[in-house]
Amino acid sequence: MSSRSVQYTSSPLLASKTPIWRSQFIVAVIAAGFLGLVARAAYVQVIDNAFFKRQGTVRFVRTLDLPANRGRILDRNGNILASSVPVPSIWANPEDIERDPAKLKALAKLLGMTGPELDKKLQDEDKIFVWLKRQVDESIAKDIDALKIKGVYSRKEYKRIYPEGESVAHVVGFTNVENLGQEGVELTFNKDLGGKAGSRRVIKDRFGHVVEDIGEMVPPLDGQDLQLSIDSKVQYFAYEKIKETVIANKAAAGSVVVLDVKTGEVLALVNYPSYSPGKRGNLSGAQLRNRALTDTFEPGSTMKPLVVGLALEKGLVKPETMIQTAPGYLQMGTAKITDSHAHGMLSVNEVIQKSSNVGTVKIAMQMQPHDMWEIFTQVGLGQKPQVPFPGAVTGRLRAYKTWRPIEQATMSYGYGLSASLFQLAQAYTVFAHDGEMVPVSLVKTNQDATGARVFSSHNAAAIRNMLHMVTIQGGTAPKAQTMGYSVGGKTGTAHKVEGKGYASKKYRGFFVGIAPIDNPRIVVAVMVDEPSNGVYFGGDVAAPVFSQTVQQTLRMMGVQPDMAVKPQVVTQVEKESF
Amino acid sequence: MSRVSFLLWLAVMASALYLVRTQYESRSLTTEIDRATSEARRLEIENDRLDVERRAQATPLRVEKLAREQLHMRTITPAITQYATVSGAAAPASAEVHP
Repeated sequence: MSSRSVQYTSSPLLASKTPIWRSQFIVAVIAAGFLGLVARAAYVQVIDNAFFKRQGTVRFVRTLDLPANRGRILDRNGNILASSVPVPSIWANPEDIERDPAKLKALAKLLGMTGPELDKKLQDEDKIFVWLKRQVDESIAKDIDALKIKGVYSRKEYKRIYPEGESVAHVVGFTNVENLGQEGVELTFNKDLGGKAGSRRVIKDRFGHVVEDIGEMVPPLDGQDLQLSIDSKVQYFAYEKIKETVIANKAAAGSVVVLDVKTGEVLALVNYPSYSPGKRGNLSGAQLRNRALTDTFEPGSTMKPLVVGLALEKGLVKPETMIQTAPGYLQMGTAKITDSHAHGMLSVNEVIQKSSNVGTVKIAMQMQPHDMWEIFTQVGLGQKPQVPFPGAVTGRLRAYKTWRPIEQATMSYGYGLSASLFQLAQAYTVFAHDGEMVPVSLVKTNQDATGARVFSSHNAAAIRNMLHMVTIQGGTAPKAQTMGYSVGGKTGTAHKVEGKGYASKKYRGFFVGIAPIDNPRIVVAVMVDEPSNGVYFGGDVAAPVFSQTVQQTLRMMGVQPDMAVKPQVVTQVEKESF
Repeated sequence: MSRVSFLLWLAVMASALYLVRTQYESRSLTTEIDRATSEARRLEIENDRLDVERRAQATPLRVEKLAREQLHMRTITPAITQYATVSGAAAPASAEVHP
């Protein structure tokens, strides 16, 4: 049997005719397959396109935040008072943290926590992000890195740094961990300082490199720098002095305000006790309070020059007019107004110099309550100071229609109304700026301020002369004198109000003054709260701080001394009335 | 006709390959620019940090402490200051007094 005998053309397989449905079936199946693909394509591309696009984007497009720098706070000479620097913050992923007891113990130690505290933070395994500690030191972050614990990471966050520390704490304030202002100008100017974060959308490759930008970038808007009127040197010096004084006098607190008379700028605003804005572990309210602006007290004798100024303005008295203050007291109905001791006949000049209550009341009772109220209002009493500061208070000045005669009398020597130290300092710009009330500014202006006229230039000079007499022999505050510069000012001592009456042994001594007296450049106000080391008169506790602050401030401002320099010895101190 | 088609096909292929290459280059350049930008930002931040550091070293508190303790300096007073005026006029308040 040879192979040739096989007849390929007549294979029995081919002999039977293939049914047509088989090929049709195959075609149909393939067609169905293609249809399926088309349908799927239509679904992906058209119907549920958005979903798939989003899924794609999620896999390679990233939105990057472009953080904005918080603006710096500078003093008037451009020195940094507050600036933001990046510091590491430690976070963990409790879901996949490596729970090695030895390592966790070391971690807790580095973070300054106890073991259980750390465990508590990590116990919720459903979370994928938990802060362990924010804003730690660079060295601690490095040590934590070295532990190589899986699931513990660090990221950069901005932290506010305050190089000047305690002395400017109350002015500058501070921010919280979210970089939002909480106190001081950090709070008031939070918007300007804060800036606005930007963002950009990018495609990242699998190494995390940015390979392409998508769409428009929103550039970050950095916060603006803020230049304050504060001079950090004056500020520091005033802080050191008030601190020394508060400690030496066993006082509760103290404040100093220094104003530039020409421009109305605040050169220094300090309070003690203070705090370090960088370390706010256990802050007390006493430390936080910006007393110069938030604490009000009865301004006492410091009101007398205003009343006398008004009397001069109305032509009721002249500086040389004699007033009988004997026998050292004045009966008004049931109330008795007394001087610390009887002075006899005093000129108006001497009424201020010796701080006679009786003399002041005799002048004041010739005036209308309305006029007195107006003068007090014009110098800013009973009104919120126009400084951008959280918590600045208005003080209290009642409407003149409700004044009884005895109240008008007590108000003339500063009782029955209240003001903050800042308000007092501002009020005294009236005398220092030739009779004009100067608007104050906490931001550097460098422009001469024009104020609202309260007294004539002539009368302002007359009052300055009286204020100068206070600080020379025979006045209540010879300790306010300072070498080389003529000064003038008024002391005040007030019983502290406690409950409904006056505390018998709690005082507040203060001094508000001007220097140099003939061509004033600065107003300095000093307040010492509850001095309890024997002396408590404003002339004894506050005037020395005034003297030293004036000396340093004028020197730093480059003001030439207006007095021949000679050793000055004080022989006798007059006791002031309050 | 087929030759023209072939040439066009070649051109399309070349263009496609060139596109791939350009895309690649553009991406690596973007990476480069991104790296440079973040470096610039890092340096800027570093600069800020050093500014603060410098200021912290020069606060009045520290300066005064060093001046007093190490350099034995004292605060000047008008008594030991010679005032000079720019116009050349005689300086009035000057004294060789020791406090």
